[in-house]
Formats: sequence, C-alpha cells, structure tokens
Amino acid sequence: MLLIIVAFISLSGRICFANNAITVVANTQDRGILLSRHEVRNLFMGTPLGYDFIAITLPPENQTRVIFNTKVIGLTESRIQSYWAQMRFTGRKKVPREVASEQLVLEYLQNNKGAVGYLPASLTLPDDLTVIYTIL
Amino acid sequence: MPWRLWNFVLVCGLALLCNAHPIYAETSDKLQFSGFARVVLGYLDDKDAEYLNYDNSVSIDNESLIGLQADYQMMDSLAITGQLIGHSGEQRDSGIEWLYLTYAPTNTLKLKLGRQRTPFLNYSDVIDVGYAYPWATLPQQTYPRHFFSNFDGLMASYEIPSTLFVMNIEGYWGYFKDKVVVSEREMEAKTTGFHGLISHISFKNWTLRGSYHQGTTSVTLDDVTQFSGLLNQLGFSQSADSLATTGVTEVFQFSANYETVDYFVRGELNRIKADFIFVPDTDGYFLSTGYNYFPFSSYISYSKNTTDYEEPASDIPTGLSPILDGLSYNYLNIFEQLPVNSSEAYTLGTRWDIQPGLALKGEVSLIKGADNESAFFDIKNTAFDREALLYLIALEWVF
Repeated sequence: MLLIIVAFISLSGRICFANNAITVVANTQDRGILLSRHEVRNLFMGTPLGYDFIAITLPPENQTRVIFNTKVIGLTESRIQSYWAQMRFTGRKKVPREVASEQLVLEYLQNNKGAVGYLPASLTLPDDLTVIYTIL
Repeated sequence: MPWRLWNFVLVCGLALLCNAHPIYAETSDKLQFSGFARVVLGYLDDKDAEYLNYDNSVSIDNESLIGLQADYQMMDSLAITGQLIGHSGEQRDSGIEWLYLTYAPTNTLKLKLGRQRTPFLNYSDVIDVGYAYPWATLPQQTYPRHFFSNFDGLMASYEIPSTLFVMNIEGYWGYFKDKVVVSEREMEAKTTGFHGLISHISFKNWTLRGSYHQGTTSVTLDDVTQFSGLLNQLGFSQSADSLATTGVTEVFQFSANYETVDYFVRGELNRIKADFIFVPDTDGYFLSTGYNYFPFSSYISYSKNTTDYEEPASDIPTGLSPILDGLSYNYLNIFEQLPVNSSEAYTLGTRWDIQPGLALKGEVSLIKGADNESAFFDIKNTAFDREALLYLIALEWVF
C-alpha cells in the first residue's frame, strides 16, 4: 500500500512538473544556440545578448508568465512591474512587447526574425522555430 | 504658476488615463506616451514639530504628483524623450524634468544629451516614481531632499553582458543651475564641471551599484558673502575663508540588493562631502528587508545619518574690544544657527499590488534625533523630545 502511495505521489509530482515545463523559443537560423538560465533571464530583463534577439512576453495574468517569472526570472510579478517602471522612467531599457496568448506568441515568433518568447513545453512547435532553453 | 501647471498636467493625465492601456499608451510604433502618479497621505503624530512638512493633521499635498512622459523614435538609433511633472508640494517646482536626445549606435552603447535626472543614489532618478520601489517614501536619512534632481549635459551608458554577470557603466558630465533649499535656507545654486561614474553589476540574485559624483558648487548668499568680505578686509582670513560659498562637493555611494521570489534585502550607504558652509559632510545608510506574499509584501527598514559642519575658525580675538567681540559673536552665530540633522528612523510597512501598474502602500516610521539637534524636524515647541511617528499611505500608479 505504501509503495502505491509513494508511486502515486511520485507520478503526480512528475505530471505536475511536466505541465509546468517551459521552453524558450526563437526565430533564428542558428539551430545550435542554447542559452543558460542566466542569459534567458537577462534577455527578458532587457539586456542584449549579442544575438540580435528581441524578447516578447505574455500578459501579467497569464499562467505561463507566472511560471516563467518564478522559475527563470526569480522575481514576483509586482517586482518585475516595478523594475520595468524604473527602467522606463529612467530611459534605460524598453519594456518587451506583450502578446496576448500562447497561440499569438507562436504566430508572432514565426513572423518576426530574431523574436524570442516563452511557451509551455507541452505545446507542439513548428519546424522553423528553435528551442534555445528548457526548464522543467 | 506651479499650481496652474499642476492643474493642467492633472487634466492631461486624467484624459490620458481614460484611454490608456494599463502599462502605457502607444499612439504609433514611433510615439509613445506613458506616465506615473502618486497620492501620498501623511500624518505626524506630534503637535510640537513638523517633519518633511508633515504635521499632526492629515495632508495630501506634500509628495503627491503626476508625471507624463513622451518618447518619440525619430530613427532606428535616435529618439527624443520629454517628461513633465506636476508636484503638489511647494518644495518642488513643477515643469520639465527631462528633455533629452538618445543616440544608440549599438544595442550596448547609449548616449543621452539634454536635461536628465541626476543619478546620485540608487533611486535618485526614480524618486518621483513611487511604484518603482517598495517603500512609501525614501528615507530622508539617505535621500536628503536638498539634492538637486536634474542636470543638463551628456550621459553615456555601456552594458557588458557575460555568461556570469551583467555590468553597466555610466558616465556623465554637465552642469546645474537652480534654486535649492539647504540648511533651511533657499538659495540660488550653480554647479559646474559636474561629473560622475556609476557602475551596476547584476549577478544571480544580487544587484550591486557603486558611484562617485563631483562638481564645483557656488551658492548665492549675499549676506554671508558681504560678511566674509568684511572679515577679509579686517585681516581675519581664516574666518573669511570658512564662510566660503563656493567649493567642491563629492558624493560616494554603494548599494546592494538581494532578492528572490520570497524575500528581499536592500541596503545603501552614501557619503556627501562639501567644502563650503551650509552643506555639512553627511554619512547615511539604510537597510531594509521584506517578505513577499503576493500580492502583498511587508518590510522593515532602519536608516541613519550623521552630519558634521566644519569647525569655525578662531582668529578673531575676544575680550580686547567691544567691536571685535561683536564681530566674533556675529561670526559664531552663523555656525550656531546651522541645523544639525543627524537622525535615525525605524520603518514598518506593507505594499499591496492591486493590479499591474497600481499599488497601495502603508507605513509607519519612528523618527528619532538627539535632544540638541534638529534631526530634520521643524520644531514648534522647544520642549519637543525629537521623537515622532510618521504615518504614510501612498497610492502609486504607472500607466
């Protein structure tokens, strides 16, 4: 019985984990690019990486964005909003463009060279996009 | 005039807000409007003094403000930015806070030319954007209000990303000319050769900032200048020199932030050195830690500063003649009237992020000073014990 419970918990955890997995996807010709978490964080916080990438994000209330904030950026949504207020009103960095849903992110990525966005890992990606980072 | 401008800006702001996107309004890809507003209610629980113009009645017109910003992208690498602020408080003039051109030849190098915010301390350039920081107000002990908020000149910013950290280096050069209030006196101030170097480093959950600023400041104080001239004519050059109204001012600053999804720790220290009368040498620091439980975060802070003026000279002899005694008395009286603003503050507060772009903060601070010092208080009763509670509620908005 104990084994069954342990197996169930383990399985539940794995399913939950898989559902929360995030991929960062780019429209790039270079299919070999793999970024670290630090580089992805910097990219979405407005720091150029030298690849001519332009980050796009989902709206604040979007669940994928909440997971991405927690796992990759490592800050709460309110802190990220404060950060962008500071960057915007000191003229240092520009807020990434917001795209309304995961499906629209996919479309935007396909239509814009250099665009980078994050998506649930479970989403099926078209062949012309490249996964540059994955976090489980 | 400031009030008329304030009303004008308020109306413009409200009109914009009616149609604005929650974060910012884009009228086209090239022209963007955005803004920020704050309404700050304050109450000082003591009838014997005022602190930063708060007294024992609820006031809303000390730190409330609205700012509007327009960014126009003229070419891929060239943009112009203007920012207009309407202050409710009488201590700050409303008007153009920013007006500068940005030239970005690469995505790591940026040059800005025009009127810009002075980046003395970590939050100096967003001191009016309350939404950008957790506290209802930045501690007076570390962020003295006599610091001028903008300068005219050139700023260069260069970002160095690496696989381990991100470093940003900023350097600027320019000048400042406007009225300032120092040691409870309003005076015309001019700073030339004003320059500084700022370095930011972000590494994992850490953000560090160190900076150095320097300029030659002269202030117009006709009565002091005339008295200093008289002392010089009489041969008391040490006393005359100690009343200098021109001198070099230096600011040193270091701050460190550590933050995660759950909590933050932030600290900042600075040293201000000025070699002329009315601006004391000041050391200030604050330490704050907070716990995030979205949509709330609660924090505690401690801030402290110490100020020291130059000692008066002693080359005027006393006890020889009534004229010299009077001269000495008048000379020493200038120093005795200088307010000593060493103080400390303990703060407890909570920020509630109601929705993206809108936050409500509430905090209470215990401010303490030594019995014989001003400690930033405007004292109404000599029996005042230099201890008071300041309550603040702030509604912060960016759009």
